[in-house]
Amino acid sequence: MSIESAVIEIHGLKRGYGRVEAVNGLDLTVRAGRCYGFFGRNGAGKTTTIKCLLNLLRPQSGTVRVFGLDPRKNEVEVKSRLAYVPDAVAFYPWMTVRNTLDYLASFRAQWNRDTEADLLRRFGLNAAHKASALSKGQRTQLALIGAICPEPELLVLDEPTSGLDPIVRREFIETVIGAYQSGDPEHRTVFVSTHLISEFEGLIDEFTIIEQGRNLLTMAADAARDRFRKIRARFSQPPTKLELTGALSVKQTGREIEILANGSSEELIAKLKAQQPEDLQIEALTLEEIFIASQTLCGSKS
Amino acid sequence: MLFQINFKSGKPVYLQLIDQVRHAAASGALRAGEALPSLRPLAEELRINRNTVAKAYAELESQGVIETVPGKGCFLKVVDSPFTKQARQKLLAQEIDQAIVAAHHLQIEDADFLGMVRDRLKHFSKKVESAEAAKDGGEP
Repeated sequence: MSIESAVIEIHGLKRGYGRVEAVNGLDLTVRAGRCYGFFGRNGAGKTTTIKCLLNLLRPQSGTVRVFGLDPRKNEVEVKSRLAYVPDAVAFYPWMTVRNTLDYLASFRAQWNRDTEADLLRRFGLNAAHKASALSKGQRTQLALIGAICPEPELLVLDEPTSGLDPIVRREFIETVIGAYQSGDPEHRTVFVSTHLISEFEGLIDEFTIIEQGRNLLTMAADAARDRFRKIRARFSQPPTKLELTGALSVKQTGREIEILANGSSEELIAKLKAQQPEDLQIEALTLEEIFIASQTLCGSKS
Repeated sequence: MLFQINFKSGKPVYLQLIDQVRHAAASGALRAGEALPSLRPLAEELRINRNTVAKAYAELESQGVIETVPGKGCFLKVVDSPFTKQARQKLLAQEIDQAIVAAHHLQIEDADFLGMVRDRLKHFSKKVESAEAAKDGGEP
């Protein structure tokens, strides 16, 4: 498999519940070796999409391919090559941490014992503890160990860090970068859906924002930070004749003005400079700010 | 060496890493033969994609700034460009042009601009000197 081949390919995916269209014509391609962010508000269709990847739900129309295979027809092969960490993890309460990991390993062709020992130590998990005695953070850590030890080609994370404390969240992300990504970088693909975008900022190569079951924005992270800019200007007098078409949003309070630019920042900066501002500051938007700004984008569209 | 990533600068993360290594090399914060942090710990510490660090190091290697010793890691190279002096000056002229354009838009006079260049050169050589002094002092 070449580096550039697609690990996930979704075309025109539709899936509804009763009269509600949860996913309504989604397109998405995740290339091998990338870390792909999947952002959306609650109810935007993220989990439904992920369930279609795992054959936990059947698409009503459209195609879903994982490693070029149809998860409905090749469920075993697809699942043997990926691992999935959902937001709420459940284990058999009577099993110990040790039993649980052995149980999970019994379904896998390979299991890295060194990684397992490493991560148990790092997370401070006691192998003799019962799964029922674990906190939410510890259960997520256990699920992460279970997902990384089989060294899957694809790691699917659905809201993995929601509800966890900041230390556990940080360790979680470091583990994904270190223990998972460093193994065999060309065959380590991450697909992560999350609200906590800022924590994954440095990890994300590319992302899709989904809104009402459709793609709202798909971009490479660096390109997005280059395209979306926040421009702040302060003038000696409140500016009057400013024509700021092309700005995503304009906020003015007295002599100060704040603009969110979507691609046309050079033009907007030139217009502001023509008014001779006292102060002019330009910064890139973070992925989280882009996510929030994209909601105005979809508001203006409809 | 220590890195600092700023997502708000709008500059791609791998370029930020490259700039910081080049800056550290020019200011003596990183000396020829010294090791750069290895990929995995650096990626974990900065919480950035491992591939981003790998891309920055590969680019630095192709620029001849660092060298990779298999099994040992990445090390800062002795500055020794394979290009002729003329070719090197041409490359630098492009960078200088950018600074001149920026100076024009910031309304910096030519004389002030030249003065600033001299100040900055002094700033860097002072840093290198103090780094050297600390090194000599530290060695018996």
